[in-house]
Amino acid sequence: MSQAWFQHTFSRRRFQTQSQATAIAILSVAILLILGSLYLSQVAAFAITNREIEDLIARRDEIKQQNEQLIGEIASFRIVPRLYARAVEIGFRPATNDDIEYLVFESYNPNRQTRAFAAAARHSAEPAASDYDETFGGWLQSQFDLLRRQFQAFGE
Amino acid sequence: MPGQSTQQATIHARLPIVALFLIFLASLLIIHLANFQFFPRSVRQELERIGSSITNTTLRIPAERGMIYDRDGEPLTFNIVQYRLGVSPDLVFDAETLMKQLSVILDMDEVELYFKLTSENVWEFVAGPISAEQGQAVAALDDISLGLEEIPRRFYPQGSLAAHVIGIVLDDGLIGTLGVEGAYNSTLAGRVMDLSVSNVPFDLPEDRPAEQRGQDIVLTLDRDVQFWMEVELEQAVRENGAFRGSIIVMDPRNGEVLALANYPSFDPNRFLEITDPNLLINPAVQETYEPGSLMQVLTAATALESGAITAQWSYNDVGLIEIGGREFRNRFFRAHGAVDITGVLAQSLHVGSATMALAMGEEAFYSGLRAFGLGQATGVGLFNEEQGELRLRGDTGWSESAFGLNSYGQDLQVTQMQMITAFAAIANDGIMRQPHIVRQVISEEGPKDARHSTVRRVLSTETANILKNLLVRTVREGAPEAYMPNYTVAGKPGTAQINTAIGYETGPNSSIVSFIGFLPADEPEVVAMVKLDRPDDFFGFEVAAPVFRRIADRLVILLEIPDDAVRRELQTVEARLRASQTEQD
Repeated sequence: MSQAWFQHTFSRRRFQTQSQATAIAILSVAILLILGSLYLSQVAAFAITNREIEDLIARRDEIKQQNEQLIGEIASFRIVPRLYARAVEIGFRPATNDDIEYLVFESYNPNRQTRAFAAAARHSAEPAASDYDETFGGWLQSQFDLLRRQFQAFGE
Repeated sequence: MPGQSTQQATIHARLPIVALFLIFLASLLIIHLANFQFFPRSVRQELERIGSSITNTTLRIPAERGMIYDRDGEPLTFNIVQYRLGVSPDLVFDAETLMKQLSVILDMDEVELYFKLTSENVWEFVAGPISAEQGQAVAALDDISLGLEEIPRRFYPQGSLAAHVIGIVLDDGLIGTLGVEGAYNSTLAGRVMDLSVSNVPFDLPEDRPAEQRGQDIVLTLDRDVQFWMEVELEQAVRENGAFRGSIIVMDPRNGEVLALANYPSFDPNRFLEITDPNLLINPAVQETYEPGSLMQVLTAATALESGAITAQWSYNDVGLIEIGGREFRNRFFRAHGAVDITGVLAQSLHVGSATMALAMGEEAFYSGLRAFGLGQATGVGLFNEEQGELRLRGDTGWSESAFGLNSYGQDLQVTQMQMITAFAAIANDGIMRQPHIVRQVISEEGPKDARHSTVRRVLSTETANILKNLLVRTVREGAPEAYMPNYTVAGKPGTAQINTAIGYETGPNSSIVSFIGFLPADEPEVVAMVKLDRPDDFFGFEVAAPVFRRIADRLVILLEIPDDAVRRELQTVEARLRASQTEQD
């Protein structure tokens, strides 16, 4: 009996290596679990961040809309009939020629200046069409400009 | 054990066969597996499509429409968002509470709302378009049964100001029509994009691409000038019992349209409420009419330019002339004796115009009118511009007598824009500038000046100067109502009868009156045209000329044009400065 038990025990020596394998497997599973949970937590954090970004984009769009709405309302308040009515209300009236006195100053350019549009003034605008030139060179230049504009328009 | 060794020998003998068989099977599997990776392109695309349809959603993103500004940067349009509200009745948890909340927000009848919230339908439309504030209030309820759909809308903060110039936008803010909205739709509209958005929460959310936005447009219109022209026009139409009217103001030096007013007009924010579709037509560019005696200026200009007559030309007016077998008479059948060009223009003599046309001949006459741009759209940049009608020899309906009629503005069709462009050419020393309404186009790369070149030289400087002097005298002698004490005004009134299928209309309110003038006559800074349809009084000098005077009074203030005395003083100062500079150099 004792011999049989010994033999049985002795024969299980072969499982010594299996117990190591089991330990390694358990360790591996544990490492995998740790890595998995780390991965999942990272992915969850990423997903949450993305949701937050989406919410922020939506909020930004909403604020932009509200901003445009407000600019629209401000523009509605600045319409000429309203300004005119308000001016009349507080005692102004449209000027007539008799109310205006022009004073001549030396070295002052009397020609009406083109008021630059604020939005456009931020950038350097392309020069406007050059003055009419009746020479042959001018005609040739105008034909070349015309051709170039046609090509540009075709390209667009 | 011989038996066991035989069995082992058999196994050993069969083992390679089994192994080979297994290798063969494995190879087959590997080949199939490899084959599985290399589908035909169409199958692969289909599989990818199915795959992405599960993980992606396609969103149609409407492009933000470009803005329109006046020349000083005052916004004439805005993009706003409105909403359509719908409900899934199956998902409504507490219909009564929701009904009360929505009723307050939408100002709707509670019973009507209750029926919608408890409907048998899967989806029920509740209200729309509703304002952004209402939409945000509904969204704040955070009720899963409610669905809000964004509707992009165009808002015109200036109301009816320059409505015909700006135009309107149809189809949930996508298609511009009328005015600049229509003519520059492709520039303003931007690109509608289909954006594929991932449903996978791990993919980074994509922002809307910026390059799809439409480009902004800066007009040549001056908001203040436009407003005052509309005020004066409305008053003129009402005072004169006219059917409608139009005013165009242009800078002849560069062709910029500073104002284009029509009355009656409409509010583009409420264009769906318009019952008369004719209100949406811009008569200044989309309708033609017989210009009447205004045409006599172009006839005289063409005759002078061709050399057929000189500034000293005169003729003996017997009140009658025959062209192409047809007799032409002056108004009221009067004969005027010896008459010069000023007399023809000031008294609008039909016989005088026909005499000038005969003197230059048919070819010179029509080529002159073509040079002035008649019969061709001006290309001002407004939607559906008419080109008018100028029939030449060989065209259907043309006859010898039409030549005579054309010389004083009958039997041909023009637009108001064509007439003011022709007069602007005279004012600008004979050089016709391209009339235009768009000054700049602003894209992502920055602003780009709209290139508007010179169309052509129509008259020599000498002829243009003669014409200017003639038109100054015409105002003094033929339309003193347009005379301004401190300014030299050049201009011409026009009276046109209204042609119908059975001839020209007679009786009250049966004429179209107009006046085109520019000032200061020696260095014109502004040219303006007034046109009133079917006023109570018949003639242009008695109806349109006083209106021109009123608008000219406004224009010199708004455009800061000093009177003649000040301008002369300025010229003296400038000359002195130039002289002193030359001495220094």
